[in-house]
Amino acid sequence: MTLYTERGQGSAIEDFLAEHAQVLSIAGFFLVCILFFATMTDTFLTGGNILNLLRQAAPILIVASAMTFVITTAGIDLSVGSQVALVNALAAIAIAAGIPWPLVILMMLAAGAMIGLAQGWFIAHQEIPAFIVTLAGLSIFRGIALLLTKGYSIPIRDADGFTFLGRGAVAGIPIPAILSVLVAIIAYVVLDRMRYGRQVVAVGANREAARRVGMPARWVTASVYGLTGLASAFAGLLIAARLGSGSSNAAVGFELDVIAAVVLGGTSLMGGRGTIIGTVLGTLTIAAIGNGLILMHVSPFFTQIVTGAIILAAIWLNTRIFASGLRLGRKKS
Amino acid sequence: MIAGANTKTETGSSGLQPHAGKIAAGARPRVSMRGIVKTFGSVEALRGVDLDLYPGECLGLVGDNAAGKSTLTKILSGTYIPDGGTLEIDGEDVRLTGPSDARARHIEMVFQDLSLCDTIDVAGNLFLGREIIKNGFLDKRAMAEKAKEMLAALDIRIPNLSAKVAQLSGGQRQAIAIARAASFQPQVLIMDEPTSALAVAEVEAVLALIERVKVTGVSVVLITHRLQDLFRVCDRIAVMYEGTKVAERQVQETNLEDLVRLIVGDESVR
Ligand SMILES: Nc1ncnc2c1ncn2[C@@H]1O[C@H](COP(=O)(O)OP(=O)(O)OP(=O)(O)O)[C@@H](O)[C@H]1O
Ligand SMILES: [Mg+2]
Repeated sequence: MTLYTERGQGSAIEDFLAEHAQVLSIAGFFLVCILFFATMTDTFLTGGNILNLLRQAAPILIVASAMTFVITTAGIDLSVGSQVALVNALAAIAIAAGIPWPLVILMMLAAGAMIGLAQGWFIAHQEIPAFIVTLAGLSIFRGIALLLTKGYSIPIRDADGFTFLGRGAVAGIPIPAILSVLVAIIAYVVLDRMRYGRQVVAVGANREAARRVGMPARWVTASVYGLTGLASAFAGLLIAARLGSGSSNAAVGFELDVIAAVVLGGTSLMGGRGTIIGTVLGTLTIAAIGNGLILMHVSPFFTQIVTGAIILAAIWLNTRIFASGLRLGRKKS
Repeated sequence: MIAGANTKTETGSSGLQPHAGKIAAGARPRVSMRGIVKTFGSVEALRGVDLDLYPGECLGLVGDNAAGKSTLTKILSGTYIPDGGTLEIDGEDVRLTGPSDARARHIEMVFQDLSLCDTIDVAGNLFLGREIIKNGFLDKRAMAEKAKEMLAALDIRIPNLSAKVAQLSGGQRQAIAIARAASFQPQVLIMDEPTSALAVAEVEAVLALIERVKVTGVSVVLITHRLQDLFRVCDRIAVMYEGTKVAERQVQETNLEDLVRLIVGDESVR
C-alpha cells in the first residue's frame, strides 16, 4: 500500500543561508581582508586609520547606495565619477563667485538630480541602453568640468561652514562618514520597506510585468538615474569640502569603485535583486583594500590591479553561482 | 465527461444567435469591443474584431497559434493600446490609457507568460502593484497573512510564502498568477491559458473557480487549447483565425468536432 505523505520542510536556517549567501560571503571576505591587513601592518586597526578610512569611503558609499537602485533595475550608471567632478568644480566656482554656501549646496543637489533625470529620460523614454547614455555622460560631464575650470583647481575660501562638512567630526566621527551612513540607512529602508523600492525591484526583475500590474515602469527606470545624480552631487560636495577646492580632475575612476562595491555586495547585474547591506560591506571592502595596500607600502598602481581583479571575481561569482542558484535565467524567457 | 460534446451532433447551426441561455435577452454587455485593429510592424495581429462580454458568463476564446487571442485580451486589460476600434464598458465609451486604468475598472488578466517577478517572494507577487502600505512602509506581515488566505481560498498549496517565485514549480507559478488576478474582486477576469502547466486537481480547481466567480456576476474570458474544458465552464465560444473572429457559438449549439473544424479554418462549416 502506498502512503501519501507530505514532504518534510527543511530547516529555516538552511533557507536563510541560501537566501543571504551573497551578503554572508562578502561579510566573510571583508573580515578576511581586515585580518590580513591587521596582521600585515601595525597601523591598520588604529582608531585614526579607521576614521580616515571611513572618511575616504564616504563618497563611495553615498553613490554606491544610489547605484544599488540603478543596478537593481538592471541598469548601470558609468557617469557618476564625471558628475562628481562636475559638481565639485561647479561648487568651487559658485562659492568663489560669492554665492552663500548653503545655497550652493541646494543648487548643486538640484543640478545633480536634474542631470541624472535627463540621462534617465534617454534611457527610459527613448530606450537607449543605459551603458551608452551614461558612457556619453561620462565623457560630456568631465568635459564640461574641464571647460569650466580650464583644468585648474579652484580654491574654496571663506566658507568655513562648508569645509567643516568635509573635515569636521562629531563626537570624533568624521561628518562625511556620518552622512554616508545616514544615506545608506535611508537607501536600505527605501529599497527594502517602501513601495518605491518594491517598484525598483519589480522593474529590474520583469519590466513588462511591472508595467502590466500598473506600476509606472518608465518613471521608475528614469528616476533611479536621478538618484545617482543626486548622490553624485552630494559626494562631489563632500569631496570639495574635504579638499577645500574644486577640480575637474576629481574622482577619476570613481565609477569603477562604486560599481565594484555594489556588485561585490551581491546586487545582481541582471536586475531584480539588490542589497544595501551588501553594498555597505562591498564599499568597506574596497576602501579597506585601498587603504591597507597603501599602509603596506605597496605601489599605488598595484591597488588598481587588485581592485580590477576583485571586480572580475565578484562578477564571476555573481553571474555563475547566483544565476544557477536562483534560476535567474528563466526571467528573460 | 464532456458535456454537450456527446449530446449535440448537428454542425453548422446558427451560432451567432446572441446570448441565449443564462443571459437575459437584451441585457447590456459589460464589455463591448468593436472593430478592434492592432498591428505590430508588418504583422496585422487583429483585423477588426467585434466581441461582447456579458456579466456572469464565461466566454471561451479559441483559435490557432498566432490567431490574435492574447493580443485581443491584452487590449482589454490595457496592456496594448489598439490602433483602431472602440471599447465600451457598461455602455460607456472608454479608451484605456494603460494597465492601471484597466485594473481600476476591475479588469484583471492572467497572462500567458504569467508576468511574475522571479526575484520577489510569493506574497510580494500576489500584491504586485497593490502593495499594502502602513505609515508609508510596506506592511509585509499583512501581505503575507492575506496571501495565505488568498491561496487557501483557491486551494493552492505553497508551503513557503517567503520563497522567491523563481524557486517554484511551473504549476505553482501559474497558480500564483491566477490567484493574483482572481483575488481582488474583478468584474472582468481574463485567463490566457491558465491551465497549461497545471495537474489534474489544479485544473479542476480553476474550473471550479470560474464557476464560482460567474455566479457572482463576473465576466470571464477563458483562452485555452484544452477544448474539453470549454464545454464544462463556458457559455459561449468565440473562434479566432488570423486576426479575425470567424465564429461565435453557444456551447449547447456546438461540439468538439465542429469547434476543431472552425479553428483550423474549414470553410464548409462557417
Ligand atoms: N508584442 C508584439 N510584437 C510583435 N508582434 C506581436 C506582438 N504580440 C503579438 N504579435 C504578433 O501578433 C500575432 C498574434 O499573436 P497572439 O499572441 O495574439 O496570438 P495567440 O492567438 O495568443 O497565439 P497562441 O495561441 O500561440 O498564444 C502573432 O503573429 C504575433 O507574432
Ligand atoms: Mg496567446
